[in-house]
Amino acid sequence: MDQNQELDHLFEQYRAALPDPDAGVNFMPELWRKIEARQFFLRRVKKLTQVFVAAAAAICLLLGIVLQVPVSSTDRQGVSGNYVDVLADANPTENLAAVGIRIDYVEPNGR
Amino acid sequence: MLVEFELIQKAQKGDGGAFNQMVVAYRKRILGTIARLIGRPEDVEDVAQEVFLRLYYSLDQLRTPEVFEPWLYRLTVNASYDYLRKQRRRNEARMSDLSEQQVMMADAAAGGKASGEEQRLKQVKELVDSLLQSVSEQDRILLTLKEVEGLSLKELEKIYSVNENALKVRLFRARQRVLNAYQAAKRGKGGKAPEQG
Repeated sequence: MDQNQELDHLFEQYRAALPDPDAGVNFMPELWRKIEARQFFLRRVKKLTQVFVAAAAAICLLLGIVLQVPVSSTDRQGVSGNYVDVLADANPTENLAAVGIRIDYVEPNGR
Repeated sequence: MLVEFELIQKAQKGDGGAFNQMVVAYRKRILGTIARLIGRPEDVEDVAQEVFLRLYYSLDQLRTPEVFEPWLYRLTVNASYDYLRKQRRRNEARMSDLSEQQVMMADAAAGGKASGEEQRLKQVKELVDSLLQSVSEQDRILLTLKEVEGLSLKELEKIYSVNENALKVRLFRARQRVLNAYQAAKRGKGGKAPEQG
């Protein structure tokens, strides 16, 4: 017998030394218990995901409303225009004259 | 195939009874393969349950009946790899806790209980296990599937999703390494291998 054949024979004996074992009586019940446990876990993860998505959508909607309200309310009060206009409205020239500040309007050509 | 494709289709539709029948048809073979791949009888059932668990949750991806068995083998090989990886980590921790003398005493006590025939088979098992240590874990599993489980190259091609030539080369190299280790073992024992048959 050459060494290749010897090795083949050794592998055959190895297979005989390790025959297919029989499953224990608890094999199937234990398998189904594991399947059901995994199913329960997956269902929980799915439910949590749904709750999370719904909560995220509700928060987005709420934030959208909150951000929208101040803009529309300030529009209603008529506060618009730039910083200089706001200052001029707050300090009319009559008030400045009352405290001794004269504002002489000078034409651009110096007259 | 050990089961009809109709049975697989029923199981795919969620029929628990059909899935049960499939498991019953294949479990002995799968248990045997796992036993030879992982070498720890006490954990074989756990790994087999993991294989069938993965089968249950991926059954809907199966389209053609011809690939069912290679696919089941792939699940088996992957589950065995995962187990061996975990085991290696656990063993490193466990062995570091035991002194060399304690390990030798445990081995001797286990060996003393076996009868003559059991002793011979145990020797064969130990020899082949030690020979298979001369190749990588992947090659050991590939070689076991080919030489011990008796799978054909066509079946291995489907399991590993690589072409036949690449598999032949890998198998040839792995076998050569095992042969070299066998020669070295024989030389070490003065030309005597365990009694054949």
